[in-house]
Amino acid sequence: MVDFWEFMRRAESGEMVQEKDFDRKISTVASEMVKKYNIRYSPDDPVPSDNGLADRVFEAALELFVDLGVFVMDTRKVVHLTEEQTREVLASAPDTVVYGSGNEIVHVPHRRVEDPRDPVVFFSAVGTPVEEEDFVKVCISYAQEPLADTYSGPLITVYRGMPVTSGSPIEVEAGIWNVVKLREAARFAGRPDIPIHNFMSVAERTDATIAAARPEFGVRENDGLFTAAIAEMKVDFERLKRIAFLLHTPYVIGGLYGPLMGGYAGGPEATAVVLVAHFFLGLCAFRAQRHNAFPIHINQVCNTTREMLWLVSVSGQALARNTNCVGASNAFMASGPCTEMISYELAAHSIASTVSGWHLNPAAVARNRHPGHASGMEARIHAEVGHVAARAGITRKEGSGIVKSLLDKYEKSIPSAPIGKCFAECYDTNTIQPKDEYLRLWDSTKKELKALGLDFSLLYQ
Amino acid sequence: MDIFEKIEQAIVSRDRDQAIRLAEEIVAKGIDPVQAIERGFKRGMERIGDMFADLEIFIPDMITAADIMNEGIAILRPHMKLTGRATGTGRILLGTIQGDVHEIGKNIVKVLLESAGFEVTDLGRDVNVLTFIDRYQELKPDIIGISALMTTTMVNIPRVIENLKTLGLRERVKIMVGGAPVLPEWAEEIGADGYGESAKEAVQVAKMLMQELKGKKNG
Repeated sequence: MVDFWEFMRRAESGEMVQEKDFDRKISTVASEMVKKYNIRYSPDDPVPSDNGLADRVFEAALELFVDLGVFVMDTRKVVHLTEEQTREVLASAPDTVVYGSGNEIVHVPHRRVEDPRDPVVFFSAVGTPVEEEDFVKVCISYAQEPLADTYSGPLITVYRGMPVTSGSPIEVEAGIWNVVKLREAARFAGRPDIPIHNFMSVAERTDATIAAARPEFGVRENDGLFTAAIAEMKVDFERLKRIAFLLHTPYVIGGLYGPLMGGYAGGPEATAVVLVAHFFLGLCAFRAQRHNAFPIHINQVCNTTREMLWLVSVSGQALARNTNCVGASNAFMASGPCTEMISYELAAHSIASTVSGWHLNPAAVARNRHPGHASGMEARIHAEVGHVAARAGITRKEGSGIVKSLLDKYEKSIPSAPIGKCFAECYDTNTIQPKDEYLRLWDSTKKELKALGLDFSLLYQ
Repeated sequence: MDIFEKIEQAIVSRDRDQAIRLAEEIVAKGIDPVQAIERGFKRGMERIGDMFADLEIFIPDMITAADIMNEGIAILRPHMKLTGRATGTGRILLGTIQGDVHEIGKNIVKVLLESAGFEVTDLGRDVNVLTFIDRYQELKPDIIGISALMTTTMVNIPRVIENLKTLGLRERVKIMVGGAPVLPEWAEEIGADGYGESAKEAVQVAKMLMQELKGKKNG
């Protein structure tokens, strides 16, 4: 089988190509695959129930991956796998991942389309920048949530008055601080053993990440670390060095894939194909045990537009039906905390993801760019909707209807989405609880969702 | 439809053969090549930029259009003098900041800036802070454009500005910044001269900065 070191051998010995030629080939091949496999975006059906479509997306992704390969930026070589080798790698993909230790051990199984089992929910501030003094409180707002199976934190850009510049000694120091504070926050959330699915968000460089990955700083066996592919279908030595390290550790390896809809791949159909192909990249280049998908609309910087929800749904179904992979859908919202719009966006994304076979990873909010604009409440909303959708046995067809009703409420507002309130405005920072305004807002949306067929009393059964 | 409109249409429809044929016709008939560029190729690329902003087309389509434009201009060039400095449009040093390997956004900006007539030196991705300084000193561009896709890397951008200040060079060059995590307030806070929310806006900002520079020289 093509293992990590065989991948590295091919990264040195493979075909050398110009990066711009590789970029163009993505577009050409993806477009050919969309035509060949008759993959069509259906705006009127954002959560399609067509198994044939899901299977064709998978086959298209497989053919694209075999044709295209993976571009290694440091060597300008393309690593190719044959179809047989790719299927072999897929067959060996872990179908269950275990996070955590002590009192909190989480088994994350491969999830199926319309799976009645609860999705595992990875609560996360997804790299939102916060002030150093707010870091622990924001972390607690996530870790304390009852539906948080695991959690990870925001990031800081200034440490003790110094900017955390990547590649500098301060990045190493801030990276260690990040790890220490994540576990400290877990303890003060009353959950000292909660798994941390991505223990590093402050440091970008691998040396700083490795420096911080020590038990004495609070990292535990079966915590995890994400490694991101570079859009589209590329890797570099900086990321591959992490893998070389992680393979020797008890930490869960997570692959992170964020193809850009409107980018080199093209439209929603081609980007869905490329997203699925990134899972093959993650399996062979990263030896990923679980996977996180965050496809992004290139202009709107979110994945809650109509075409993005369709893309999330069909790619999830393709993977759920044709692989054993453990995959989570990473929510990227246009609007910010404590707005009506965010409750609609979160609900739509959660339903489209849950019924399509994804686990959930909520949530980046306010386009993931406004400092301090993130709280555990957004992840709570996403998680509650996902749990209810699974427990109620919502089908894709039913889900599509609900998602369409929600899109009617917010999609026109996406370009001018409100950034909402910052953590200190929507949480009581002494008790670290959401303020009444936010709770009332969510209660109100829950009533609307109930009218659409989501029964929130299922949360307590 | 006059010949300039036909060129514009050839760019919009990414019809290479037609664009080349029209460029050759411009030369053969002795029509002003600068007019062909301004009223034909550039307008076509402006429409391409609009189409990309609305996602009617995607990055590869935009790059194809830019390539066709460049081929057309290559036919016209021997019959004119065209550089960013010669046309007065401007010269820009562009790169993604240290630590950041994401350059799709920067590449889109580059295509649109070149289409608008700017002479762009692209330093690529993960560009060391001091490399920006060294290349500025070597090339003396009018504008330095810096992008970041990650919050963890954008904090390197102010270091470029600080180094320019230390060397007494800051007032000689305009700085524009952009990228997903970069906010206009932050751009102002770090002392950048311009900020582009989108690639299209980046071109407008670059043009505005050039106007300021010209005003400064004239003043």
